[in-house]
Amino acid sequence: MARFKLVNGVSVQLTAEEEAARDAEEAAFAAGAFDRAIANVRSKRNALIAATDYHALSDNTLSAEMTTYRQALRDITNGVTTVEQANSITWPTKPE
Amino acid sequence: MGIITRSFVNGLTTNGVLGASNINNASLNNITSISGPEMTLISSATASNSASIEFSLGNYKEYQFFFVNIHQSIDQAYFQVNFSTDNGSNYNVTKTTSAFNAFHTEADSDEFVYASTTDVAQSTANANLSILTGNGNDENQSGYLHLFNSSSATFVKHFISDLQCNYRVGLPASVNYKVAGYANTTSALTNIKFEFSEGNIDAGTIYMYGIGA
Repeated sequence: MARFKLVNGVSVQLTAEEEAARDAEEAAFAAGAFDRAIANVRSKRNALIAATDYHALSDNTLSAEMTTYRQALRDITNGVTTVEQANSITWPTKPE
Repeated sequence: MGIITRSFVNGLTTNGVLGASNINNASLNNITSISGPEMTLISSATASNSASIEFSLGNYKEYQFFFVNIHQSIDQAYFQVNFSTDNGSNYNVTKTTSAFNAFHTEADSDEFVYASTTDVAQSTANANLSILTGNGNDENQSGYLHLFNSSSATFVKHFISDLQCNYRVGLPASVNYKVAGYANTTSALTNIKFEFSEGNIDAGTIYMYGIGA
């Protein structure tokens, strides 16, 4: 089905070259679905670990619960091989 | 020029300055124009399953684009921007961006994250303006983008955007996504394009304003 773009408010049909370029863009985007999903997981995981880094400073004693929590975050991507798994991760609860 | 009333004139000093104590509804009613850069609505475009929305740029010192109820045709795609320096023949200007988002689900979980997976570094590909968003019937995103001095032949072109959407990867949530970056070129930008990383802009309106021609 032909695609149309809006140029300064006017609808213009994409040329054959534009259609081919758009198809290539979309194919590349679709091919990267898992990479994006797992990168999102890692980004969130890193932020959550960083948020508890102060617990691990040399003048603090890391509780067993916090140790377990941080290790669970480090292991969060283990066994995740599909987009669906990456998008439905159950995150550990941060200890009080 | 509006009518100058006696009470308005009485509020002026001998130097023609309107004293603060005399600024009231009556005096304000006499103001018919304010000097300085005006905000001009240049164009607007309402999507109808459109592959992209593009605008020509001119010589305004700042452009503001307002996105209203942008709705996508395909689930989980990024809303993106790119620029052209050759009148729209190619949208491939080199860009570097930074991005972060605040995220709060309807179930009351939250996070604040630098978006290292969605920023770009010296990329000619589209730059993301949102996280992966959904196409549910009530899902949409609204926000704005500022583009500064796009016709400069001296400087890189900075832009700042702020988008609000109500979805992320299957979770009903408020997501506020902020992006800032620059088009790393000293050539004048001639066009700007908005589109989704996959699929079309199903609905929504983009308004383009110019300030300081």
